Amino acid sequence: MHKYLTKRALHSFLSLAGLLVLVFFLARLTGDPGNLYLPIDATLEARQEFTEKHGLNDPIYVQFGRYVVDLAHGDLGESIRKQRPAIDVVLEAIPVTLSLAAVAMIIALLSSIVIGSLAAYRPGGVFDRVASIASLAGASAPDFWVAISAILLFSVTLGWLPTSGMGGPLTWIMPIAILIIRPFGLLVQVVRGSMITVLSSAYVKTARAKGVRERAVIFIHALRNAMLPVITVAGDQAAGIANGAVIVETIFGWPGIGKLMIDSIIQRDFAVIQTSILVTAIVILSINIAVDIAYAILDPRIRHK
Amino acid sequence: MRFSIRASGINKMVNQTPVTPVLPPSPRRGMHLLGLLWGDKFAFFSAVFLIVIIVFAVIGPSLLGDTATKLNLRARNFPPFTLERGWMYILGADALGRSMIARLIVASQNTMAIAASAVLFSMLVGGTLGLISGFSRGWVGGFIMRIADVIMSFPSLLIAVVILYMFEPSVMNLVFVLGITRMPIYMRTARAEVLEIRERLFVSAAHVMGASTTRIIVRHITPLILPTLTTIATLDFAFVMLGESALSFLGIGIQPPEITWGLMVAQGRNYLQSAWWLAFLPGLFIMCSTLSLNLLSGWVRIALDPVQRWRLEIAGDGHE
Amino acid sequence: MKYLASCLLGTALAISAITPAMAAGKTVTVVLSEEPDVIDPCEATRSNVGRIVKQNIVETLIEVDPKDGSIKPRLATAWKQTDKLTWQFTLREGVKFHDGSDFNAATAVIAINRNLNPTQDCEIRLKFFGNIKVSPKAIGDYTLEVKTDTTQPILPALMSVMVMSGPKMQPTKGSRQPVGTGPYEFVSWNPGQDVVLKRFDGYWGAKPEAEGARYIWRSESAVRAAMIKANEADIAPNIALQDATDKALDFSYFNSETSRLRIDMSQPPLDDIRVRKAMNYAIDLDALRGSIFSEGVMPMTQIVVPSINGHNPSLKPWPYDPAKARALLAEAKADGVKVDTEILMRGRLNMYPNATEAMEAMHAMLSDVGFNVKLKMVEVASWVESYTRPFAEDRGPVLQQGQHDNNSGDAVFSVYFKYACEGPQSTTCDKQVDDGIAAASAATGDERRKLWQEVMRRLHEDIVPDVQMFHMVGFSRINARLDFTPSISMNSELQIAQVKFK
Repeated sequence: MHKYLTKRALHSFLSLAGLLVLVFFLARLTGDPGNLYLPIDATLEARQEFTEKHGLNDPIYVQFGRYVVDLAHGDLGESIRKQRPAIDVVLEAIPVTLSLAAVAMIIALLSSIVIGSLAAYRPGGVFDRVASIASLAGASAPDFWVAISAILLFSVTLGWLPTSGMGGPLTWIMPIAILIIRPFGLLVQVVRGSMITVLSSAYVKTARAKGVRERAVIFIHALRNAMLPVITVAGDQAAGIANGAVIVETIFGWPGIGKLMIDSIIQRDFAVIQTSILVTAIVILSINIAVDIAYAILDPRIRHK
Repeated sequence: MRFSIRASGINKMVNQTPVTPVLPPSPRRGMHLLGLLWGDKFAFFSAVFLIVIIVFAVIGPSLLGDTATKLNLRARNFPPFTLERGWMYILGADALGRSMIARLIVASQNTMAIAASAVLFSMLVGGTLGLISGFSRGWVGGFIMRIADVIMSFPSLLIAVVILYMFEPSVMNLVFVLGITRMPIYMRTARAEVLEIRERLFVSAAHVMGASTTRIIVRHITPLILPTLTTIATLDFAFVMLGESALSFLGIGIQPPEITWGLMVAQGRNYLQSAWWLAFLPGLFIMCSTLSLNLLSGWVRIALDPVQRWRLEIAGDGHE
Repeated sequence: MKYLASCLLGTALAISAITPAMAAGKTVTVVLSEEPDVIDPCEATRSNVGRIVKQNIVETLIEVDPKDGSIKPRLATAWKQTDKLTWQFTLREGVKFHDGSDFNAATAVIAINRNLNPTQDCEIRLKFFGNIKVSPKAIGDYTLEVKTDTTQPILPALMSVMVMSGPKMQPTKGSRQPVGTGPYEFVSWNPGQDVVLKRFDGYWGAKPEAEGARYIWRSESAVRAAMIKANEADIAPNIALQDATDKALDFSYFNSETSRLRIDMSQPPLDDIRVRKAMNYAIDLDALRGSIFSEGVMPMTQIVVPSINGHNPSLKPWPYDPAKARALLAEAKADGVKVDTEILMRGRLNMYPNATEAMEAMHAMLSDVGFNVKLKMVEVASWVESYTRPFAEDRGPVLQQGQHDNNSGDAVFSVYFKYACEGPQSTTCDKQVDDGIAAASAATGDERRKLWQEVMRRLHEDIVPDVQMFHMVGFSRINARLDFTPSISMNSELQIAQVKFK
């Protein structure tokens, strides 16, 4: 396991390095931050002064060299916009997104396991049909549309929930619900499919023949085996949220990493773009490794390899 | 090897059966399948809906292109379900007084073209890279998987902004953005499948008999992994349509005067309070298409699987 | 399982016990469209910074009256021009900064130098003092002398953007803790969450009613509007037209913005005046008003709004006359003008609410009279690049969507930039206009106004450098518990001291 983890860490490091190079050059293809930051009436000299001051006039390889040297010294650069170290800005935002993602994934995982298993119990039955269609329909609705409609309904018309903002427990309900919809829809499908396969396999039939009670069959024997694909998809979805809760963050005004990333991309705040992508990439690669470890724990065959 | 473990999990989820060779079509078999389809009403209506959408996509723009862009500010936000202004306004009008029904039909072409091409693009490129990665034992395989890692942790928004800034926000470029971001899943799945299949007896046999690697890949392995990739692709269809819509919401998706359902939802969201149909109707179309596609593909999976077909034959009652 | 159930129940009870933050008490909650990057006084002309700091935390020497654009005293009580290049300001006595320092001529000099510090990219310097060299000097405890390198007949109006920040603020870097003399002092900024101000007890002026202010931000207009309805906020300075659905809560105000399509007159066929006139005749402004644009917008005849010195009230907007447009086009065509050339309409996403729809509508109207126009909506960075000099050589004929904001009292801030031969965003060049600009810039009083008005007439009638659209309105939604009416200055400031409670 140790050896494996070391190898994975090394691989992840290589991926990160590649990612940083790519981001650095791609970001600089998107134009001059001065044009966006300076007022439109600023003189040409002021514009030149600005690019000069922020080192944007140098050839791109010089800029890249400087970036690498700074990086080696642990300096991720300073945000042009916010005039403070980019890493501070990113570290303020990342906990927000991570807590959103964690809560959303736990709820999505638990509820989809229950509903997916129940649906798989009688494939084609009424419950299965309703659960499948409802979860699929939820997963295929545009989330920003659901979010704004929900605010208008629950906050303005009914007055049950706060419209937006990050605060007490009530403020979590709508953002989490919106975040859950899509992973939940997918996971229900996966749990259901996986459970159907496992339930019709030989050993479950054996267990039944031995007279194990039905519920125990489903929740103990089958579920454990059905979990592998579920975890894969859940990992994928968690990575997706870590990278892309941007719509929920934008609408509900949560100061997370997704919103920070899109803002910095649109404003061409290079240091923040690079740092936020670096930090989310670390999170995503960690999720990937965690998923593999979960696999090893769940599947004894893998563990013994 | 670890990637193979994860991705084979994906196979299990989308492809609940061992890979079975597709039987040659015969008229009688076709009739039988149609009968089965009629038996499953959900799948049947899904098929009908999808056919209608495809017909719209093909002939819509040439038929209704002008109506869909014709401005009529007096009919601005005209409500749906009345015939006061004729059939073209049965589904109401948008913020510029353009007929909603015409716009929905015309938009289906771009929407379908973008979703289908993006999915096809990521499946072909991702699948091929995965194949190569699975077959090459050396560093190439590992390198390709690192690419998958990089893409996964790369915000699609940045690619979108880069492309929008450097080129025009055209249909082609959008396909490119969406296609690239969905590639890793195909890369991983294809690689995992190859790693598993190439150890099988018949591949070794082909090797021994002197077949070239290319020939083995093309003739023996590709047909076996295609069904899995296709199933992922149907699920991905929804993702791509919604992704396209989300880009429009953030203002970096397709730009007017082009239209897609995603753009219509994104533009219509401003009017949720005053004219709900502007965002609701295209949203409904996106939902129904993805739902139909998933229901139908689920049905096809079962119908083509000899082990599970009985579920359809006793029509909807799955009780053992 | 039972444990889980009791946990859930416990959580549910806990949730129901906590109620969300409500707008209550005498603190005003303002919901902005985005979080400011820095809260530095020298960025006070950026709208979301200005709404927090300007005249709340930091004050200016002179204030522009939003009603008529005239200037009135704030931290300066009197001013006079002592020679062509020098102005003298008498400062208010007994004013203290929030950190206890005294406000006097010496601290005013520090503040001015801070705003104009070239190592900082402050908007006040870059937007208003890019071409002027300013040297302030204290010549008495409360007498400030300001010298400029060129004649500045309207320096007092310019001083309406010059905010007086505390002398101890660090001079070289954007600040996150502004200090000033205003009626409210800065308390805290939780990044991503809110900015809090409280009433300053040592304020020199009348004690305002509101005890404090809290600023939050949401990027969706629908959410901002909903927050006022749900009583979570008091003032949403700008919401979109389609969200302004409640007559009792929503106020429209001229926001000093003027929207137009800039015609690139150097590119054929746009160099022909008949073509430019035809474009203006082709646009049905009445149909746009009250549909895509608010009922309250005013068809423009010039780049500045009526409250600005130099506005010419005698000009008439272009009527909608498609027949005349077609006739003019036919006439130009007969003279060999290539009127069939494809003309690019370049719009900017989210420039104002419904910006895309407006462009789509105008695209349809121009096509209707026979123009070969192509619409392209671009993201802000590409838009800026093509809007300002240097222009690309091979740009071809372009109509570019533009919106200009001038609430500083005088036309000079607009006309040179937009229409002078050398103007940074000008695609027009006319000797008579340039001479007019030079003459008006150097003049004062009535003569200045008349000279500007003549420039405006020349542009509107003889040059036609724009497809003219509207003087725009903005919408604010105000909580019913407040007694407050927004004014034209809402774009750059929001004086909490003027907010009253019902």
